[in-house]
Amino acid sequence: MGRVLAKVIATMSELLLQTMINAVYAASYMSLIAVGLVLIFGVMGVINFAHGELYMAGAYTVVGLYSFMALPFFAAVVAGMVFVGILGLLMEYALFRPLRDNPLGGLIASIGFLLILQTAAVLGFGVRMAHIKPPTQAKFHLMEGVVLTEQRLYVIMAAVGLLSALYVFLRKTKIGWAMRACAQDKEAAALQGISLNQISRIAMFIGAALAGVAGALTAPLVSPTPYMGHSVIVTAFIIIIVGGIGQLEGAVIAAILYAFVHTFVTTFYNGVLADIVGLVLMLLVLILKPTGLFGAKERA
Amino acid sequence: MLLEVKEIHVHYSKVAALKGVSIEVPSGGIVTIIGANGAGKSTMLRALSGLAPVSAGEIWFDGERIDGRPPEKIVARGIAQAPEGRRIFPDLTVEENLRTGAFLRSDKPEIEHDLDSVFGHFPRLKERRTQWAKTLSGGEQQMVAIGRALMSKPRLLLLDEPSMGLAPVLFQEIAAIVIEIVKGGVPVILVEQNAELALGLAKYAYVLETGRVSLEGAAEDLRENEHVRKAYLGG
Ligand SMILES: Nc1ncnc2c1ncn2[C@@H]1O[C@H](COP(=O)(O)OP(=O)(O)OP(=O)(O)O)[C@@H](O)[C@H]1O
Ligand SMILES: [Mg+2]
Repeated sequence: MGRVLAKVIATMSELLLQTMINAVYAASYMSLIAVGLVLIFGVMGVINFAHGELYMAGAYTVVGLYSFMALPFFAAVVAGMVFVGILGLLMEYALFRPLRDNPLGGLIASIGFLLILQTAAVLGFGVRMAHIKPPTQAKFHLMEGVVLTEQRLYVIMAAVGLLSALYVFLRKTKIGWAMRACAQDKEAAALQGISLNQISRIAMFIGAALAGVAGALTAPLVSPTPYMGHSVIVTAFIIIIVGGIGQLEGAVIAAILYAFVHTFVTTFYNGVLADIVGLVLMLLVLILKPTGLFGAKERA
Repeated sequence: MLLEVKEIHVHYSKVAALKGVSIEVPSGGIVTIIGANGAGKSTMLRALSGLAPVSAGEIWFDGERIDGRPPEKIVARGIAQAPEGRRIFPDLTVEENLRTGAFLRSDKPEIEHDLDSVFGHFPRLKERRTQWAKTLSGGEQQMVAIGRALMSKPRLLLLDEPSMGLAPVLFQEIAAIVIEIVKGGVPVILVEQNAELALGLAKYAYVLETGRVSLEGAAEDLRENEHVRKAYLGG
């Protein structure tokens, strides 16, 4: 009797730990995507509906360069990051700049761009899932029954490294300050000699590149399709609403919160219920604290 | 003249906010623009800073035409503005706010020197340098706005209603600092609804009424002017 109980407890704690590790992984790539979206919204005031497709473009860069052309995996990831960053620059220049002061116009243009990217992926790679042989099959057995694959570890390390770098950039550099200033008051920023065009370009490049690197690194784990952007964009929106629009730190914390809730509910119940719980979480925040959990912004 | 504005027009979609306004600012002292709500005072300063589109007329600053230039180019030429409503960055610290004013400068030691001199003008900001700007009082926020504008090392300073919402004691304090700034060699365009204060400080004044200059002259003459006394000085 005692031995059975001990065994059950051991299995339960293994499952709990494993689920926690899965949640850390999910939080990592979700925050990479959500932070980019928040940065773009904060600095330029537009909701980038094509953000999920930037993530998809990152994944397909890896499909093309690593799977088809057999380049080293990390070279493909870096290429994906830079390529998607450049897509971001293109969007800034061709869509968001002409439509500045017209947030609705920017949103609609980004929906148009989303369709273009999807079509390009379909034409280039077909509608089927692209299966990618993972560059590494290595696993770390953290404990009996608790496993972290090396591929997932890459994603976690990239998220921690890139988001910390972004944080330092925003706090400690002149351009970082200028970016925060723009996010708070564009006109006042312009009066300090800060060029809105320059700052928007940088924000768009960084935001897009973060989505691109998330797509590139997770490509071997998720089997990319041209439509993979949909699911992440919905998640990213939930995270942003929960965290507070325009709050970078809020987005990261909300991503972690959401990932933990979602992963645990998926593991112990099922994915559909997890999605519902996510939406309920968002509704609760909207009702109880519409500025988001961390958005206590009151203009002076 | 340091600044010459020639017959400028500014439209917001359909509304004409400025209908052919001309002003001149010499390279020293204070010029004031007074007028009622909606007269176009802020629009004038916004046009000078490149924030409002000038649809006709010309703006010349130190021999260069600047209308139609983007705001950052105008700041680079030497025109700084402390805008209406202060517009400080609420989620930056006091010091970070001030340093954004020096965004275009790269002369590091001089920036530190100017930061010290801003703290010299406003000792209260020095005590609060690491505080979030949104936690400051209205008067302190106005000090940040003026200090931030000074950090660009301007050759012309535009102040839009610095007295707005401040207790009389405080705007005496602000007035004293504006005088100090002018003595330090930076000319000022002062926009005010508080005509009493403005005409007391300025050498020359313009009265703006519904987008046109209705009256101009030496500030002391305007103080004696019947219309100005009735309309702006409370009898
Ligand atoms: N962004 C805008 N869009 C449309 N109309 C505007 C805008 N800004 C100002 N106006 C209009 O232009 C006119 C001049 O406004 P302005 O702000 O220059 O007046 P002001 O003299 O500064 O007034 P106040 O003393 O209230 O600050 C007003 O009729 C105002 O309603
Ligand atoms: Mg005004």
